[in-house]
Amino acid sequence: MRGYLVKRIIVSLIILWIIASLNFVIFQVVSPVSPEESILPPGGGDDASMREARAILRRLYGLDEPIYIRYAKYVQNMFTWNFGTSFRSMKSVSGEMSWRMSNSILLLGLAEIATILVGIPIGIFAASRRGTKIDVATIGAGLLTWGVPTFFIQLLALLVFAYYSYVWFGFSLFPTRGIYSIPPPADPVGFVADVAWHLALPVGSLVLAGFGSWALYTRSILLETLTQDYIVTARAKGLDERTVLYRHAFRATLPPIVTVVALAVPGVVTGAMITEYLFNLPGIGQWYLTALLSADYPVVQSVLFIYAMLTIFANLFADIIYGVLDPRIRVGQGSGR
Amino acid sequence: MPILSKDARIIWRRRIQGFWEEFSRKKIGILGLIMLFVFIFMAIFAPWLTPYDPLAQQRVADGFAMPQWVTVFPQFQNLTNTESVWFDWSKTTESPYIIGYGRNVTVTYEPKATETFRIKFESIYTYKAPVPPNSFYLDFSWTAGNVENMEYSINLYVINPRTEKSFLLYYKTNTTPAGENSHVDSIDPILMYRLGLSPGVDILGNIVFPDKGDYRFVLEMFFKPTNPSARCDINVREGQLTVLGTAHGILGTDNAGADLWSQLVWGARVSLMIGLIAALLSTTIGITVGVVTGYLGGIVDEAMMRVVDILLCLPILPLLLSLVFLFGKNIFYIILFVAIFGWQGLSRIVRSQVLSLRESSFIECATASGASKTYIMTKHLVPNVLPVAFASLILAVPSAILFEASLSFLGFGDPRAPTWGKILQMGFGFGGFSHLAWWWIIPPGLCITLLCLAFVFMGHAIDDVVNPRLRRRR
Repeated sequence: MRGYLVKRIIVSLIILWIIASLNFVIFQVVSPVSPEESILPPGGGDDASMREARAILRRLYGLDEPIYIRYAKYVQNMFTWNFGTSFRSMKSVSGEMSWRMSNSILLLGLAEIATILVGIPIGIFAASRRGTKIDVATIGAGLLTWGVPTFFIQLLALLVFAYYSYVWFGFSLFPTRGIYSIPPPADPVGFVADVAWHLALPVGSLVLAGFGSWALYTRSILLETLTQDYIVTARAKGLDERTVLYRHAFRATLPPIVTVVALAVPGVVTGAMITEYLFNLPGIGQWYLTALLSADYPVVQSVLFIYAMLTIFANLFADIIYGVLDPRIRVGQGSGR
Repeated sequence: MPILSKDARIIWRRRIQGFWEEFSRKKIGILGLIMLFVFIFMAIFAPWLTPYDPLAQQRVADGFAMPQWVTVFPQFQNLTNTESVWFDWSKTTESPYIIGYGRNVTVTYEPKATETFRIKFESIYTYKAPVPPNSFYLDFSWTAGNVENMEYSINLYVINPRTEKSFLLYYKTNTTPAGENSHVDSIDPILMYRLGLSPGVDILGNIVFPDKGDYRFVLEMFFKPTNPSARCDINVREGQLTVLGTAHGILGTDNAGADLWSQLVWGARVSLMIGLIAALLSTTIGITVGVVTGYLGGIVDEAMMRVVDILLCLPILPLLLSLVFLFGKNIFYIILFVAIFGWQGLSRIVRSQVLSLRESSFIECATASGASKTYIMTKHLVPNVLPVAFASLILAVPSAILFEASLSFLGFGDPRAPTWGKILQMGFGFGGFSHLAWWWIIPPGLCITLLCLAFVFMGHAIDDVVNPRLRRRR
C-alpha cells in the first residue's frame, strides 16, 4: 500500500509538472500576444517612449532572459506558490488567489454538499421503490441534468426571482450580483445571513442542475448491489427491508460513491466558472474569465495550474479513499487502470 | 470496388434491422428521434423559415419588441407593428423649374440671374396607432448634378397637425460629392441634441408622433446663385419612412431591434453541425486510440494511456476558453478543440473491450491464417466495438453542444456564427433582463435543452439496446 501510494504521488507530481509546462508553452511561447503588449495600451505605436516602456516591462517581468531560464524560474515559482504579479492589478497573484479561492470554496462546497445531500437520498429512495412512479421520475430528472445547461437554469432563476419578482412584489427576492451587500452588515449574524441570501440563488440552481445525476448514479449502484447474494441471504434471514437497505446494501455502495464525490470536486470547481460569471461572484472562475479577456497571463496560468492541481489531487484522494473503504483492493493493485 | 463485400452488406443490413426493431420499442428513444427531426427540419429549411439574415442586425422593429402573438392578451393590445411607407411628394406651388414629383423629385434651377429660389414639397403620413411610437427612421437618397456657381441646401422636416410644431430632421448644404444616401434615425444622439432633447431620456418617436393624425413631411430646397450663369439639378429619390413597432414576428426583437426568430432558427444549423462534427471526430479518435492501444499493447499502450491520464486531469472548459482566445474565435477551431478534449472516456471503454476481444478465438483464428495487424484491427476489432462507440457518439453530441453553448455564452464564440449561446450572451449582456425580455432569454435556452435532451433520450435507448446487461451509466 505504501509503495503504491508513493508511486501514485510521484506520478501525480509528474502529471502536474507536464501540465504546468503545457501552460508555459501555451502562454509564453505560442501565444500571439506578448506579455508586454498585453500590459501596454493597444496601438501604442513604436516611438522611443514606447520602446523604452517595453524594455522596462521586459526587464521587470524577466522576459529579457533566455527561454530556458524563464522556464526554470516558472516551474520553480509554480511549485513554490509564487505566481508573480498580475499585469492588470499589479498585485500579487497568490494574495488575490487566497481570498478568491475562499469565495469559490464557500460557493462550491455548499453547492456540492447540498447536491449530494439531496441527490443520494433520492437515489436510495428510488432504488428501494424500483419501477414505481418515483423511480421513473428520478430517472427522468437524471436524464434532464444531462441536457439542461446549468447556466440556463440560472438565467431562469435570475429572471424569475430577481427581475420578475421586482415587478410582481416591488422588491427582488434575491440579489442579482455579488457575495455580500455593499456595505456589508456590521454584526456577524447579519453578515452570515447576508452571504446566505446572496448565495441562495447560485447554490440552489447548482443543486437543481446537479442532484439528478447523483440520484441516478446512487440508484444504479444500489440496484446492482441489491442483486448480490449476501442481500438475498440477509433477506432470507428475515431482516426487515430497512436494515437490509441501509445496513447491508447502502454500506457496500459507499466506496464507489465516495470516489465519485472526490472525482466530482474539480469538475464542480471548473464548471462553476459560468455560475460565478453570471452572479458576479468574486471567485477564481470569474477572475479567470476577466483575466483571460485582458490577457493577464500570470493570473490565467495560475488559475489553470490550480485547477489542474485540484483535479490531480482529487484523483489521488479518490484512489486512496477507495483503498481505505474497500478492503478487497487494499493489497496494492490498481496500477492497471 | 465497394467498401463492403456482398456478405458483409447482408450482415450489416440484418444488424441494422434488428437494432431498429429493438430501438423502435423504446418510447423515449422515439421521442428523442422526433425531437431531433424537428431540429433537423429547422436547420435544413432555415433560409425559408426566416425572413431576415440572422447576422445582419437589421432593425426590423423597435428594440425589445415583444412577439406578435402576445397581442391576444388584453394588456398587450396597444402594441404596434412596424410600418413602412414611401414618401409621395406633391408640389405646394407651381414652378417651371419642377421637372418631376411623386416618389422621385427633380428640380432644375437655371435662373440666368442671381435670384434666390425656395421650393417645398409635401408628403402626408397618417399615424393611426393609439399609442405613440418609440422610434422611427427615414431613408432617402439625393444627388445634386451640374452644380455651377450655386449654393443650395436641402431640408426635411415634419409638422405636427395639431400643434403646428415642426422638427427639422435633416439638412444639408453644398456637399462633396454632391448628394448622399441619407439615413435619419430617431435614436441618433446628434439629431436629439440638435433638436434640444437629451438622448437616453427623451424618446423622439413619442415627441414627433404624439397622437393619431395626418403628419406633413416637408422637403424644402433652397438655391442661392453666386453668379448669373448658375445652374443646379437636385434629385431626391426613394424616400421611405419606417415607424418601428413594439411587436414583431414570432419571437420579437433584441435590443437593436433585430429579429430573434431568424437568429433562433439559424442557431439550430450551427448547433447541430458543431455537435455532430465534434462528436464524430472525437468518437473516431476514441475508437482509433482504443483499438490500437488495446490490440498492440506495450509501449504504445502505456504512452497513450498516460496521455489519457493527463487529458483527464485538464480543466476542459477553462482550457477551451484560453485556446479559443489564443487561436481566434473561429467555429472550426472550436469544433476541433471540443473534439480533442472529448475522446478519453471512450478510448478507455474501447480499449477494455479490445483487451478481451484480443483473446477470443476468432482473432486467434485470423492471426493464424496470416492476417496482418492492420487487417485484424480494421476488419475485426473496429466492427465489434462499433455498437458501444455508437451509443457513445450519440451521447457525445449533447456534451459538444453544451461546450459550444458555454463558450458562446461567455463571449468566446465565433462572431460570424449565429448560435444559441450567443443569443443568450447578448440577452444577458445587453439588457434582456432589465427589460424582462423573456422572449430573448427563454427560447434559445429551451432550444439548447431540447436538442441535447433529444440526443440524451436517443442515447439512453441505444445504450439499452446495445448493452442490455450494462445497466450502469457513467
